[in-house]
Amino acid sequence: MSEFAGSVNDLVQQLGRLPGIGRKSAERLAFHLLRVPKAEALALSESIRRVRENIHYCADCFNLAEQTRCELCLDPGRNRTLLCVVEQPRDLMSLEQSAAYRGLYHVLLGRIAPLDGIGPDQLTIDALVDRVAGGGFQEVIMATNPTVEGDGTALYISNLLAEFPVKITRLARGITAGSVLEYANKEVLADAMTGRRQW
Amino acid sequence: MSTEQTEAIVLRMVEFSETSLIVTLYTRDLGRVSAIAKGARRPKSAFDGALDLLAVCRIVVICKTSDSLDLLTEAKLQRRFRAGQRSLVRLHCGYYLAELLRLWTDAGVASPPLYELALRTLAEIDGDQDALRAILRFELRGLQILGHFPALDECVSCGAAVDPPLVRVPFAYQLGGVLCAACRPRHREVGFVRKALFGLAKQLAGPDEADPELAAGDYRDLRATLSRYIQTQLGAVPRTQSLLPTAWVSH
Ligand SMILES: [Zn+2]
Ligand SMILES: [Zn+2]
Repeated sequence: MSEFAGSVNDLVQQLGRLPGIGRKSAERLAFHLLRVPKAEALALSESIRRVRENIHYCADCFNLAEQTRCELCLDPGRNRTLLCVVEQPRDLMSLEQSAAYRGLYHVLLGRIAPLDGIGPDQLTIDALVDRVAGGGFQEVIMATNPTVEGDGTALYISNLLAEFPVKITRLARGITAGSVLEYANKEVLADAMTGRRQW
Repeated sequence: MSTEQTEAIVLRMVEFSETSLIVTLYTRDLGRVSAIAKGARRPKSAFDGALDLLAVCRIVVICKTSDSLDLLTEAKLQRRFRAGQRSLVRLHCGYYLAELLRLWTDAGVASPPLYELALRTLAEIDGDQDALRAILRFELRGLQILGHFPALDECVSCGAAVDPPLVRVPFAYQLGGVLCAACRPRHREVGFVRKALFGLAKQLAGPDEADPELAAGDYRDLRATLSRYIQTQLGAVPRTQSLLPTAWVSH
């Protein structure tokens, strides 16, 4: 483990802790950083420092933000009557890339997972209920993952929000566009049938 | 190293890396299996959405002889657990079943009767049957299959027949059964259990035809007694047990 100078070895170990990076890749990355111009290497370390020092969770929606509120919450062009509930900031990013939604978000920062000891109090559910209680929203879209735990989280939140005058919806699921029914798995077909909608 | 095919219920999933999961399964033929599912978190994987909690699937697993994790190479979805879309009570019953199966079973020790019982209970919870009663029956029949069903007719300590004219009978949670008057002072962890519950427990654990009526008080008392009994037998409190309603609720 200590065939390199102390600081190089240290860098290899740090890189090796990143997801998907093994010892060999960590070494390759470390030597790459030694080879490139100094300014380029330091720009990376500066980016990491800035992200860790400046990024926190948005005070309203718990998306990643550089100021008190995230760019989406500050954007006057967003529809403030729609609220979409997701598990993680990366889910929000995926939905944004789809460009199909122009409302606001609420990031739970996880899902209710009793088998892993994660209960509703460890998420941002209280803040979500406060936001909805504050009024102004007409529809809350449950966009948690279509898994047992994601569905359970959506159901738990829907029950909490039932007392407020908002429409609660769930993301549709089912057959992939461009595929054919004949080859669709029967569970997927059942989802599509259950989630059918008015023409 | 051998390649096995069997059917399994997904009990737990832990993220292992950016793309892989460690999955704990209860299988029909191999008992409990923990296996790594490489690439399972990629959009187009060999697991095709089959790996979700309480899903029933046909699997192919490469069993390692050494201590290293088995390798799950294929999972085909048979039935997805959908209760989480409509009832928290049913969902919580499902979580509890998953946890109990994991705590009750050992790696590599198969019990087809326990597997069949779990499968049937899962279908009841996810269907229209009384899920809370289904869980009671699962626990009682499971204890029976595992050889931990409490002694209810003879003193668990000395074997003497016990049928005192009492409403509540001393019950030793640790030893696992009722106590006669002579043995009772010598034991700790003793509670007093309503005698009528014993008959109900035996009927629930017995053949389907004997399925008894459960009054609200019966459910409440059976639930409490069984929860404490299972905790004592396991030496641990299952973390999802507290999600089960203490009194019967419609679901
Ligand atoms: Zn925000
Ligand atoms: Zn005795």
